[in-house]
Amino acid sequence: MTIDLQLDSRVLIQGVDNPLALAAIGRMQTYGTKIVGIVSAGQGGGTLGDLPMFDLVEEAQLMLGPIETSLIFVSAYQVLDAALEAIAAGIPQIIIITRGLPPLDMIRLLRQASISKTLILGSGSAGIIIPDRLLLGIYQPQLFSPGKVAIISRNQSLTAEIASELNQANLGQSIVIHIGSDPLVGSSCRLWLEWLQSDPFTESIVLVGDICWDSEAATAAYLLAQQGKPVVAYLAGIHASTPHPLTDAAIVLSHTLSKPIHNADTIQQRIETYKRAKIPVAKKIGQIPSLLKKLGSKG
Amino acid sequence: MDLLEYQAKELFREVGIPVLPSQRIDRPTDLKALRIPYPIVLKSQVSVGNRGRAGGIRFVENTIDAIAAARTIFNLPILGEYPQVLLAEAKYNTSQEFYLAIVIDRLACRPVLLGSTDGGMNINAILNQIQQVVVYEEFSSFYARRLALKMGLHGDLMLAVSEIIEKMYALMRAQDLDLVEINPLGIDRNGAVMALDGKISVNHYAVGRHPNLKPWQVVDVARNRLGTLSPLFTNIGNISILCSGNGLALAMLDGIAQGGGQVAQCIVVDPACREDIQIALDRISTNSRRERSPSTPDVDVLLVNFVGSEIDSCQQVMQYFPRYSNLTTIWRVLEHDRDRLAGLLPLSIKLVTNFDRAISQTLVIAKQ
Repeated sequence: MTIDLQLDSRVLIQGVDNPLALAAIGRMQTYGTKIVGIVSAGQGGGTLGDLPMFDLVEEAQLMLGPIETSLIFVSAYQVLDAALEAIAAGIPQIIIITRGLPPLDMIRLLRQASISKTLILGSGSAGIIIPDRLLLGIYQPQLFSPGKVAIISRNQSLTAEIASELNQANLGQSIVIHIGSDPLVGSSCRLWLEWLQSDPFTESIVLVGDICWDSEAATAAYLLAQQGKPVVAYLAGIHASTPHPLTDAAIVLSHTLSKPIHNADTIQQRIETYKRAKIPVAKKIGQIPSLLKKLGSKG
Repeated sequence: MDLLEYQAKELFREVGIPVLPSQRIDRPTDLKALRIPYPIVLKSQVSVGNRGRAGGIRFVENTIDAIAAARTIFNLPILGEYPQVLLAEAKYNTSQEFYLAIVIDRLACRPVLLGSTDGGMNINAILNQIQQVVVYEEFSSFYARRLALKMGLHGDLMLAVSEIIEKMYALMRAQDLDLVEINPLGIDRNGAVMALDGKISVNHYAVGRHPNLKPWQVVDVARNRLGTLSPLFTNIGNISILCSGNGLALAMLDGIAQGGGQVAQCIVVDPACREDIQIALDRISTNSRRERSPSTPDVDVLLVNFVGSEIDSCQQVMQYFPRYSNLTTIWRVLEHDRDRLAGLLPLSIKLVTNFDRAISQTLVIAKQ
């Protein structure tokens, strides 16, 4: 699986039955994203603005030529089908904007994507923005400014808040990646951390929100820090989360799998895992710029 | 959506997981028409655990005792929840109790089969013996046998347990479950297995495509609409939070907590939905000082943050605020919104262009 964020990357939209998609298409076109067509079952042969519409992804591809990225906006229960269709047509990158995908659909999709080596971003992803250069998704570009800090986030509203904080400190962004707000997501924090290692535009990284954090992600973050690209984390819910009464083995277990089973996975323990990987955790949003500047000057 | 035990057992029965003969009891007098022979066990149908220790499970030998016990259980709240229904069930003698579950692992993005030969109420005992098998590819029976063997079972019992796991998996897939758990799975002296208690969580995103589950849905309309996080808080706070995302909500709650403030309620809305904002503000204003009552908190300050939301939220939302002018509002906005809105707003609304500053100004007012 490779990540291709060429500025002239050709983009397909799947599903335009909601205002979110229409607004996003307009913003992306204004930003210069090369949207080549729209797939919306039943509307094939028509047009939306200057964009041709198709019933099937394979028809779109036949008419338009190779497509690098598909953005999926169809309703949650149609996402699995839409994504499998894009995979079958050989589209290598899929960004699922739709939220609320049933987990078993996601599991099926990810099994197929791992066979075909398709990159899946999301579900529930706001997409990717490289400020002033590339917009793939639903972010409002005016929230961001160009610079050298990469943001990898699990949370759309917090990302906007943190970008605003960085902007106020004159720290622009090299890329902002929203890996998705749904419980299960395709491409992981680890994958993007590894990709950032060779991204020449990124000098430091902010991790936002409840990143799916495991030992591999910690290793990737550690390697980045070694290369002089410091990583800073911000976690929301340190004080607010109430300890769930641990009366229920399943609740305990579902949080602890993939690792040796231990009794609980509280936010405090997650902070510990960052500490072990030597990644500073900002106590406040306002602390993020100063942490980045401090670590940056060391490197 | 968590199902109650009797609902879980109905689904177990449909896929052929053995459950005891049982009968749903809606009121104590239903026991006069009991079709199961005594002795029976009466079980409170609440969604929280530890029913046994709380007195929600009772064994009875005859109708008189059963009706008395049922009255007691109906009037016994368990962690604040009163049962609407009891389950009357035949008694079962076990020689062994196992724990079985299937959950979804968020990190691996795969279902995981779990089993322990030490089932029952003692979670540490379950965990000590717990075995897991990750279902990496399409499920097939061998995954179930692999778990049963890892649990140390063999022969007929291994086959019987793996057959239960297969049926649990089929149920999970058919009904889009986040969790299916049998605890305990009773094993009698002859090696026959019986699901004595069960727990099922239906994925809330998927409920909509399972019309068979609709009758069991308990809908708190206002709460569902607003995604309120209120139950997290004590009612001694005097700060209300209205915002557009869960992560943003948690960050603001952290900020308030760090500064020593107390939150009365925190409501997450979609700023594009005018109706939701109206409901949220009505709810906040009923807690504000003008209509104070001894049991509700006095809200002194409202902290609003819709940064990054899809629509031009400020313009749309501001029309709702003048009605609540008794409440001081700190509104976190981006700079270009402030420039546009300054002068248009009543004095009780203060626009702040920095997250931490919005928190600290909220705290100042709250502590006055």
